[in-house]
Amino acid sequence: MSRGSSDPAHAGGDGRGRSADRYALPVLAVVTALLLGALFYYPVATVLVDAVVVNGRLTAGPLVEVLTGEFYVGWLARLLTDPAALVRETLREPGALGTLGLFGFTAWQALLSTVASVALGLPGAWVLARFEFPGRRALRSVTILPFVLPSVMVAVGFYSMFGASGTLNALLSALGLSELDLLPSLGAIIVAHAFYNAPLVTRVTTAAWESVDAGAVETARSLGADPRRAFRDVVVPQLLPAVLMGATLTFVFTFASFPIVLALGGARYATVEVFVYSAVRRLDYHEAAALAAVEAGVSLTLTAIYLRYERAQSQRRRDTRPPARESLLPDSWTRERVVSRLAVAGYALVVAVVFLGPLASMIYGSLTVEGRLSLDAYRFLLRRQTAGASFQVRPLPAVVNSLLFGVGTLAVALPTGVAMSVLTTRRFRGRWLVDALSMAPLAVSGIVVGLGMLRGLVFGVTAFGYRFTVTGTVAVVAAHAVGAYPFVVRTVAPPLESLDRSLVESARALGASRLRALVDIELPLVRAGVVAGAAFAFAISVGEFDATVILAEGSGSYTMPVAVERFIGRRLGAATAMGTVLLAVTTLSFLVIERVGGEGGGFGG
Amino acid sequence: MAEVDLTRLRVEYGDTTALAGVDLSVRDGEFFTLVGPSGCGKTTTLRCVAGFEEPTGGRVTVGGEPMAGVPPEARGVGVVFQNYALFPHMTVGENVAYGLKFADPPGGVGRDERVADLLDLVDMAGFEGRDPGTLSGGQRQRVALARALAPGPRLLLLDEPMSALDARLRERLRVQVREIQQELSITTVYVTHDQEEALAVSDRVAVMNDGRVEQVGAPRDVYDAPATRFVAEFLGDNNVLTGEVRASTAEGCTLDVRGHALRVPPCDAAVGDRLTVCVRPEDLRVGGGGENRLTVAVGSAEFLGDTTRLHCEWEGTPVTVRADRDPTGTVTVGFDPADVHVIG
Repeated sequence: MSRGSSDPAHAGGDGRGRSADRYALPVLAVVTALLLGALFYYPVATVLVDAVVVNGRLTAGPLVEVLTGEFYVGWLARLLTDPAALVRETLREPGALGTLGLFGFTAWQALLSTVASVALGLPGAWVLARFEFPGRRALRSVTILPFVLPSVMVAVGFYSMFGASGTLNALLSALGLSELDLLPSLGAIIVAHAFYNAPLVTRVTTAAWESVDAGAVETARSLGADPRRAFRDVVVPQLLPAVLMGATLTFVFTFASFPIVLALGGARYATVEVFVYSAVRRLDYHEAAALAAVEAGVSLTLTAIYLRYERAQSQRRRDTRPPARESLLPDSWTRERVVSRLAVAGYALVVAVVFLGPLASMIYGSLTVEGRLSLDAYRFLLRRQTAGASFQVRPLPAVVNSLLFGVGTLAVALPTGVAMSVLTTRRFRGRWLVDALSMAPLAVSGIVVGLGMLRGLVFGVTAFGYRFTVTGTVAVVAAHAVGAYPFVVRTVAPPLESLDRSLVESARALGASRLRALVDIELPLVRAGVVAGAAFAFAISVGEFDATVILAEGSGSYTMPVAVERFIGRRLGAATAMGTVLLAVTTLSFLVIERVGGEGGGFGG
Repeated sequence: MAEVDLTRLRVEYGDTTALAGVDLSVRDGEFFTLVGPSGCGKTTTLRCVAGFEEPTGGRVTVGGEPMAGVPPEARGVGVVFQNYALFPHMTVGENVAYGLKFADPPGGVGRDERVADLLDLVDMAGFEGRDPGTLSGGQRQRVALARALAPGPRLLLLDEPMSALDARLRERLRVQVREIQQELSITTVYVTHDQEEALAVSDRVAVMNDGRVEQVGAPRDVYDAPATRFVAEFLGDNNVLTGEVRASTAEGCTLDVRGHALRVPPCDAAVGDRLTVCVRPEDLRVGGGGENRLTVAVGSAEFLGDTTRLHCEWEGTPVTVRADRDPTGTVTVGFDPADVHVIG
């Protein structure tokens, strides 16, 4: 029975084929690191260098200007230059503090948006966690939609709902009321941000609520706490961290929000992102770089705090009995029940106006011309326009490009994401650093990556005596892949991590190399996560706007979101039709994620 | 030839020491058991042999070959885990056949035939097409055993394979594992925390504690002649007593334990030395036959079916007695010097 050491497969000495296999993981690590370096860290570094090196000389000029200029930081600038005067004047006349500046406004709108998102999202968590009704699970899954919904599509939705010729004004004039002029406005930006981020707040809070142990509440009750008191003492402390996490993420996202502000804010309400974009268009790269560097610093810091906090939270998960939900339509009505159901109904109405209104208006707008049903808008998308100047964005190439880039992104982001998942689920010293470095693309806006690529690889890089340049197409796919692969990691890594390690060890003892065990055992078992990751990657690519708009500038590699932004205000019909196509593609991706990927892995569900 | 030799094996994780220099030799064809409380290092030792763990010091050889740097897949070991670790996305047959992808079935038979043979060996014939999720715990463990044996490993490593099963099934399965091991005469290293299991199936056992080997030997030898106080107390019930040597002759020693003279077998201790001895509860006779007598106060009684375990107190130390009835108050127990084992 005992196998002699002459057995080639199991001899102590290694065959040549095997040793190649043994280095598979280290090689994978190096390749992934190089790819990340080239596609993300190099471009970001390019931006940082641009921010501090002007005409080949190291200078703090652009950064100092951005950090102290009144245009950028508002009254904070005077706090630095002449604090005494500022305090004196403010004390004399409290309202005369002066403007917030670009950063101040960006943070201010992000703060308002965060408050609005929490206000809109929390009741959703209450409804989903406390009540049972048909469609509750579906509604709960839909809360992951914002991750795949293109923000520029949200902008189109709001345009067709609240714009000058939007659904709301059509309704008002049909009722004989005077029309409203709601766009552009800060309010529209904030509501659109709430549309985008409230579901996120709902999602993480619902998850936290469902993990509250009913036994803990019952214990509190048996110790003498009334329902209100038990809620305050037991439930609220467990929800608070989740709400805080949702709020932090919302702030990060809205601080760097770009297409929504660009489309709904007009020239008056520019955030840092919008200003970076316009600086790039003015070819003022150093100012753009300095702004982008400061913005990336803010986002990265907040994300680092978030990730740290998230890790601390996830360690406290345990087996619990979730609190029971009550039926939305109870058998008997009490005063309290009537009040709570009225509240649910009121919330449903708000949800209908804020969430369904824009989407329905967009679809309706795409299917009508002056009130009559028509497919003209869609025909326009498919027409191969020969007319029109070359600088005009044509719809068909945009559709084709989007799909092409989506496939390209998939080809890069999926293997990278899977490789990164495999590498980061192994236990080793300094893993947190690798984790953080690999997740950084989530925190750095597409504008920064796009700008870095434009300044680096697209304009050309000299290395080893050669001048490397990449075309816009390659750069766009690269930027999309960088934005998409963290989502693959977030869907693949958690199931991979929870796999019993004795499965791999069994395979290895049976003769499989590490790579073979990965292919034979681990990947098939996390297949659902991989498919969901692929759907995410595709959807992210199709909806990506920030990097694309910078890289597509003056080239033919524009995509649907870029086209949508161009069409807004000029050809709303085309914008809504393209927005509807985007909605269809992302909904499809969402369905794949939902059907196959279950609860959406590491997205707070 | 598939003997296993461990030499001064050390495993450290940062500041904690999992293995503090383990020396062991497992002979070819032997059923060798590592037994000890949780955290004693027995599983770590097994993982070093399998190649899942890289020792920080010392060496492992299998069949005389040094294993340093040899990956698990090249060691020719079959491993069975406590949680079975069957691949959930494969059928029973595919699970057993998995290792045959990398090595031809021994004996020149075809793969399907080999799978059928192995399933037959573990009494699971005809289960090839089943989904592992539909099997009971005992069935899964037998499939896991078949899978580990299929490629014809030179070494079988079993890591607490019975711990997740209920007591009766555990007893049945360990007999079956022992029979299969004998039939194949495959060198087997078995890890368990269950001392009864260790004594029941092994050719030899190593009792481990705190990252070290306390004692190695045949089950009966280790049980009858524990080398350390830890072994004496870990394997079965035991009464460990410490006293001062009053007399030491070729016929035996006399020990002073808390003012009482006890006769123990001859030993090379000198008068005045401290000496630790032990006597098994089953050697204590209630009613007092024997040269040594203790008057003990009965505390509580545990009815175990075939016998009753009495928890008593004697001069402030707990004493465990086996009896076929449960007396109360004080009783006299007696024992012969020959039943006393001198630990040292």
